[in-house]
Amino acid sequence: MHPVIEMSNITKRFPGIIANDDISISLEKGEIHALLGENGAGKSTLVSILFGMYKPEGGTIKKNGEIVNIRNPNDANELGIGMVHQHFKLVDVFTVLDNILLGFEPTKLGFINRKKAAIHIQELSNRYGLAVDLKAKIEDISVGMQQRVEILKMLYRNNEILIFDEPTAVLTPQEIIELIKIMKGLVKEGKSILFISHKLNEIMAVANRVTVLRKGKHIGTVNVEDTNKEQLSTMMVGRTVEFAVNKKPFETGEVALEVKNLNYIDSKTHKHLLKDVSFSVRKGEILGIAGIEGNGQSELAYTITGLLRASSGHILLNGQPLERRSIRYRNDNGLSHIPEDRHKYGLILDYPLSYNLLLKKYHKRPFTKYGLINYRAMAKHSENLIELFDVRTSQGAATISRSMSGGNQQKAIIAREIDTDSAVLIAVQLTRGLDVGAIEYIYKRIVEQRDSGKAVLLISLELDEVLDLSDRINVIYEGEIVAELDPKKTNPTEVGLYMAGSKSQPKHSDEASKQV
Amino acid sequence: MGWQDISILILNAMLLFSIPLLITALGGMFSEKSGVVNISLEGIMVFGSFFSILFINLMQNRFPGIDPTLMILMAMVVAIVSGVLLSALLAFSAVNLKANQVIGGTAINLLATPLVVFIARTLNDVRTIQFSNNFTISKIPLLGDIPIIGRIFFQNTTLLTYIGFLIVILASIVLYKTKFGLRLSSVGEHPGAADSVGINVYKMRWAGVLISGGLAGLGGLSFVIASSVSFDGNVIGYGFLALAVMIFGQWKPWRIFMASLFFGFTSALAFKYSLIPGLETFSLGYLFRMFPYVATIIALILTSNKSRVPKASGIPYDQGSR
Amino acid sequence: MNRFEQTLRKILANRAFVNLLATLIAIIIGISIGFVIMLIARPQQATSGIRFLFGSWLSTNTPTRIGNWLYYATSLIVMGLSVAFAFKTGLFNIGATGQYTVGLFAALYVGIAWTGLGPFQWVVGLIVASLAGGFWGFFPGFLKSKFKVHEVISSIMFNYIGMYLVNFLISNIKNASGQLLLFDHSYGRTYKVATNAFIPRSFFGIDLSVIFPGSEIDIGIILAILLSVFVFFILYRTRFGFELRACGFNRHAAQYSGINENRSITLAMIISGALAGFGGGLFILAGRVSNVGNIYKIVDVLLPEGFQGISVALLALSNPFGIIFAGLFISFIQRGGFYMQTLIKNEIVDIIVAVIIYTSAISLIFQTRIANWLLKTRTEKKKREK
Repeated sequence: MHPVIEMSNITKRFPGIIANDDISISLEKGEIHALLGENGAGKSTLVSILFGMYKPEGGTIKKNGEIVNIRNPNDANELGIGMVHQHFKLVDVFTVLDNILLGFEPTKLGFINRKKAAIHIQELSNRYGLAVDLKAKIEDISVGMQQRVEILKMLYRNNEILIFDEPTAVLTPQEIIELIKIMKGLVKEGKSILFISHKLNEIMAVANRVTVLRKGKHIGTVNVEDTNKEQLSTMMVGRTVEFAVNKKPFETGEVALEVKNLNYIDSKTHKHLLKDVSFSVRKGEILGIAGIEGNGQSELAYTITGLLRASSGHILLNGQPLERRSIRYRNDNGLSHIPEDRHKYGLILDYPLSYNLLLKKYHKRPFTKYGLINYRAMAKHSENLIELFDVRTSQGAATISRSMSGGNQQKAIIAREIDTDSAVLIAVQLTRGLDVGAIEYIYKRIVEQRDSGKAVLLISLELDEVLDLSDRINVIYEGEIVAELDPKKTNPTEVGLYMAGSKSQPKHSDEASKQV
Repeated sequence: MGWQDISILILNAMLLFSIPLLITALGGMFSEKSGVVNISLEGIMVFGSFFSILFINLMQNRFPGIDPTLMILMAMVVAIVSGVLLSALLAFSAVNLKANQVIGGTAINLLATPLVVFIARTLNDVRTIQFSNNFTISKIPLLGDIPIIGRIFFQNTTLLTYIGFLIVILASIVLYKTKFGLRLSSVGEHPGAADSVGINVYKMRWAGVLISGGLAGLGGLSFVIASSVSFDGNVIGYGFLALAVMIFGQWKPWRIFMASLFFGFTSALAFKYSLIPGLETFSLGYLFRMFPYVATIIALILTSNKSRVPKASGIPYDQGSR
Repeated sequence: MNRFEQTLRKILANRAFVNLLATLIAIIIGISIGFVIMLIARPQQATSGIRFLFGSWLSTNTPTRIGNWLYYATSLIVMGLSVAFAFKTGLFNIGATGQYTVGLFAALYVGIAWTGLGPFQWVVGLIVASLAGGFWGFFPGFLKSKFKVHEVISSIMFNYIGMYLVNFLISNIKNASGQLLLFDHSYGRTYKVATNAFIPRSFFGIDLSVIFPGSEIDIGIILAILLSVFVFFILYRTRFGFELRACGFNRHAAQYSGINENRSITLAMIISGALAGFGGGLFILAGRVSNVGNIYKIVDVLLPEGFQGISVALLALSNPFGIIFAGLFISFIQRGGFYMQTLIKNEIVDIIVAVIIYTSAISLIFQTRIANWLLKTRTEKKKREK
């Protein structure tokens, strides 16, 4: 009995790296097979090859024992292979129905027969328990429903082999449980599932077998029932990882940043994205904001830093109100910001590194005098920062920022923000896309800042990061702070429940946090 | 003349000015819906009108007395084909080479007029091409007798007016009811999604641009027919006005229709203001000529907030960045 | 890899060099296509056409031709600076032609009406022209920053509004005795500006009309070159220029760093407009070799100078010094085309320029791709060596 899919000796190269190095993996019919690995291990590349989005330099793919040639997603689809991508490929302004039938439209003389398709899709929806509203537009529905739309896309095309790329990254714990149920239902009907994840809990809960990749190589394939999280973790990283961060018990000072009754309503969609948010951050502490993506974190960071205008509420920096102040004022008077989108806000990619490193200081002496810029002084100052923060470049301070790696770009941003010596540091998605070495280093610097009396507001989607670094945790859900927790006393499950809105603490004032 | 007569005359003129805008704006819509910004509509109008008028000129000289309806139908084909050919340059540069679409479009605008004048002078030694404008339909039987509406819509028009109406209907059907229309829109909103379901983004964008070329060429022809008896290479910014109509119409066929009527109305006023008693003595010609452009600015300000451009418009699609 | 390859790689990885290469390729392709068109249209004269394009210089009155070359390059350079300045800020000032027209009108007015200024009339004329152009450039900039209206459409509209407004004013402004101040009915064009308003033809004792006898040249070319130094200075030495370029590259990051991008966009359009207005002033206040000055005919078409500015700016990739060369180059082939007129229609030059623009858009992509590819292979090599 052949495995339904067999990928043998797959090699794929991109300029500068070998993404897949002689990888062999097989998928049995009716199996849920997990692909585990860190960022950059090669998991996405491998499944993209299976889905016809990349062409491998070497290796073969067999379906049911026969060699097949998958040149594009159409070929994959013909073979019954479908994929749900990490970033959904859905057209915002189209309805659910149109998104599902796009590319597979039932037509008569070129005209789409939407009625027929709707009936068929509703049938599938009922059969597999995938509740969707066919008439709704994608931009109006929840992330969970969007994912169900993606799954229906595959089922509508009679895909038998279903690939999921990091399906749980954007779901609430409740929705994750739903998804696991759905996946189990799908394999019962004879589908085979290959899914990518870096979340050990979920893999242990749903997969039959798991293949571990590291740096493009196949490390091993094991039955889930024969292994445990520690073993998998070690295979994934190659060493036992110590993320326990050393922190001195903190002696906090006065309140540096205070947010009172902050509200933000989006002017285009009229959604109320921040609801009466209040909290404060003291000198010498790290306040972590935990939450699932899309619950107001971005809006929180942007309203505090000035990129968005709050609809109402107060923002006080060392007691001074900020709401009406320009971004420049906030930058110059004690607020620094490591943004979640480093390419959009954090850097001017076409500028040399030195300009970017001085982006918050170029307008001050000695860098600007009588309206003229002293580029040499900027270069010199950058060179110091580059050395201090170990930013790796090909041409030093003159390197065009676009050519730097993501990790070094982030280090540069962090270097710049720490260099401003601001009283308050707002860090959003600090370590997105970085490798383990860089992460360790960055955590150290953040803790250093906190130890030297700075107030740090850490907004992160990685629960572990929040738990490891924070002195206090607030949980945000649908724009509201629903819990205040002590990282030493809580656990991921409890935080997860708050993050999912399954639980919320009765509102009480910040006096409670003063007692800690 | 009574007020009723004046308004009817102006509204009738409105239609003449609206049709070129309508057809060209619909063309621009197809291009932008597929994700390619096409600012070369002006140049394509020049190009399309030139070749079709040249064709008419040649045919009218060879076959004097040729049936006007047949003549105009053939000229339409020439206009469409020449528009398609010129727009292929934009498609190639924008889609295959992924070059900046605004620069490419500007280059085509810069190219069209001298090229056309060059050909005209090489053939005839003069810039202008004459033709006999016997395409006006003075009255459609029955429909033209309807009071008021008949005088506005069914008298003193050309075949192109009705072609224009037909195109709006077709555009609406194609965009919202056909497979092609759905795929075209997807490519302009989220080419990555379209690509992942097997749609060829490049082919779709080529289609969008070529359609815009064909329609803009046709728009050019209808402009010359509506406005004069000779062609001198100038469409006085109508290609750009069509862009404004498209934006004002939020890339939706029926809204574009309304927008083109509005802009046609302001243009009609610009040329016919002397009909309004009391104004003919002022040398206000130039102020009135400004009106369509000022109206555009106001319209743009008013719609700026709710403007819903196709999301991927103007961004070249690179499959490698999947 | 030997020394030769190494140096070759280094040169190729240098952005400035690759830019230059891309521009040259665009020019060669443009001229080749022009040649092909000439071959099709008038085969016998095609080769002499090309020769005329380049070789019409070595004739009896070379100094005159050089003088004219420089004179006509002046407008191109100034308009190119206007468009390039906007480009650097991320804006496409396709409205340069309207700003030029408005500036032209302002200088015309000063030149005719403000005769009490003595020998400084031309200076004031140019200043007023720049102010008028800046005023006209303000609108698209303001509309973009306040209402997010795309500057391409709004500037195109303002081109027409400007043109018709100027035509209206010229046809209607009357002097104290009720006669039209600016427009001469009998000739169907505007009056000439006063002699004091003519742009001088000599500076510091150097008389350009003597060096280049019989040509139209005046000190405008010197002013244009000074202007490009000035633009370079603003963009690359001042804090204002730093912020403008930041906005041009990434408005979000510029906003994040505290730059007031609305203010920057508006100011950039004002300056761009002022440069174009200055160009208009230079045109109308030119005394000309015959000392009769330039006139403005009321027309329905947009003056081409603004669009030529776009060609110059694109060709020079918006580099202020490159614009001098691009302006000189385009003027060169245009004058060549002018002398070519007897043989073949000189629209061919405009066609060549349009093709060059088209190709430059493409070579822009290749240049970035080549540069990136080279940069990547260099860093890869370094990684492997480590």
